[in-house]
Amino acid sequence: MLLVFLGLKALLRNPYRSILTSLGIVIGVLSVIVLVSIGLGAKALVLQSIQNLGPNLLVVIPGSVTDSGAQVGGGTDTTLTVDDAQAIREDCPDVWNASGALRTAAQVQSPQSNWSTVILGAEPNYLPVRDWHLAHGGFFGPEEEASAARVAVLGRLVASRLFGLSNPVGKFIQINHSPFRVIGILSSKGQSPMGMNQDDMVVIPLSTLQSQIMGVTYVGVILAAAGSPDRVDDAKREIRDLLRLRHHIPPGGRPDFDIQALSDIARTANRLSLILTVLLALIASISLFVGGIGILNIMLVSVRERTREIGIRMAIGARPRDILLQFLTESAALSFFGGLAGGVFGILSILAIRSFLGWPAPIPWEGSLLTVAGATILGILFGLYPAWRASRLDPMEALRYE
Amino acid sequence: MQEDDRPGLSVRLDAVTKIYFVSGEELPAIRGITLSIDKGEALAVVGSSGSGKSTLLHLSGLLDRPTTGAVFYGDRRVDHLPASDRAVLRNRSVGFVFQNFQLIPRTTAIENVEMPLLYRGVSARERRERARELLTSVGMGDRERHFSSQLSGGQQQRVAIARALAASPGLLLADEPTGNLDSRSASSVLELLLGIQERSRMTLVLVTHDAEVARFATRTVRVRDGLLEGS
Repeated sequence: MLLVFLGLKALLRNPYRSILTSLGIVIGVLSVIVLVSIGLGAKALVLQSIQNLGPNLLVVIPGSVTDSGAQVGGGTDTTLTVDDAQAIREDCPDVWNASGALRTAAQVQSPQSNWSTVILGAEPNYLPVRDWHLAHGGFFGPEEEASAARVAVLGRLVASRLFGLSNPVGKFIQINHSPFRVIGILSSKGQSPMGMNQDDMVVIPLSTLQSQIMGVTYVGVILAAAGSPDRVDDAKREIRDLLRLRHHIPPGGRPDFDIQALSDIARTANRLSLILTVLLALIASISLFVGGIGILNIMLVSVRERTREIGIRMAIGARPRDILLQFLTESAALSFFGGLAGGVFGILSILAIRSFLGWPAPIPWEGSLLTVAGATILGILFGLYPAWRASRLDPMEALRYE
Repeated sequence: MQEDDRPGLSVRLDAVTKIYFVSGEELPAIRGITLSIDKGEALAVVGSSGSGKSTLLHLSGLLDRPTTGAVFYGDRRVDHLPASDRAVLRNRSVGFVFQNFQLIPRTTAIENVEMPLLYRGVSARERRERARELLTSVGMGDRERHFSSQLSGGQQQRVAIARALAASPGLLLADEPTGNLDSRSASSVLELLLGIQERSRMTLVLVTHDAEVARFATRTVRVRDGLLEGS
């Protein structure tokens, strides 16, 4: 214990060098903690937005799609129709509900303002399928859908852009110069996993969009909700079989549609963000390693510089292991206190990132402790060689060293 | 080590040689010396520089190992012990006083004196008390917080002597203790050393090239070219 104290004392005798030496470890630990936190934040963000979309959701998109996922909305084929959506609704026992949807971009105007946004044509049961709710007003029903009524439900962002703080329900907007009556406001949903702000859109009846704005009869996508998360795979198979039949795809033939379960996308995204986190941690570990080499370097210099001191200590009775312990304590203390400081600064940096950048970076408490412990072990490992060299000095030669 | 009533430590060098190897060349420092140093003796080792007298001292103090021959403390052979055991013996039985003082830089006088006790595991309070006592006894009681760089040569040597005495060794080895001092501090340091030896009856080996210094010793041996010249 006394010898540990001795090592600490030597560090205090040279405070600037000690601080500069541990700076490498401080920066190393700081970057590991911050980068891991950013990685975890990315993961949380992805999972949250997937949760927003609904874990039971299946997405049917037209067109041939390579099987790597994440191409939702990418299909440009025009083979899916409202009838397909209805068939899925009615004939697939594990599908609880489904809605066709189609989107386009358009300029939207209110008396006060205008905004360029996404116009989504959807069937009346779009909201329950997406597990989405209204903030104000109502949604359109089968009558509006059947009559291609000019009614609109605004996303949160669009509502505030067009109408500011006033309540838009009952007022009129213009989409492509046709008047639409606002009947409701959607609750806020945030980003989709594809990075799109889901609050930046206007929902109108699918039939209205098809016939009055786009002049088409297909749908861009069919969203189907399985009865529960464990029925997603069954639902997926039922939809596939149904659509192959309806689209006259011969057995073994290539289907003209693709079905993706959100849970699959979630798995992929999860794996990707894990890889991201590990990669970031690895990169940061390199700086930690470099910090360790800094300690190795300074300890070697220190042993050389204090050769005579070591000789004196040996002459008055320090055993090799006393010398070893003294220098090992020095490098362990450098890395431990450096690591501790790095941990504190890292957590402060995470808090700063959270409040200034709004990134949901969690504080990785366990990871931080682990990193500080790892840095200390690193310091001991890198201090081992210089300390061993110090302990193996010949007392006579060390005393003569100038 | 066998103990009898006398406090000092007897040392015996038995046909020791010490050969240094410098870039493949043999440089014999001690060519074969047999020497018994009795308990409580004040032995002066004289000789010109390079005669091997310092090497003899280092071999006696277990700072170095002989190339051949043996070193005994009392009846116990000690030169072949592992480094760790020799360190413990140096700590408990030997006190060194060097020509260039060898105080640890950036360390106070009292910390220097405490150091042998630290390696012995003596408690902090006891160390402090003992070091204070010793500093006072060498006339340095008012300088305990001074760093070695703030002390004169004579003062540094006094601190070094206090440090050598800290562990109450049976053997005090002084290597040209007055070599770096002016004549006034030299004589007072010498007086101090001999006074301590006389009071405590510990064994003292004093290496010097100064015949005047040697006069104070109870016995004088002369080393020349690594050999003993009469005794």
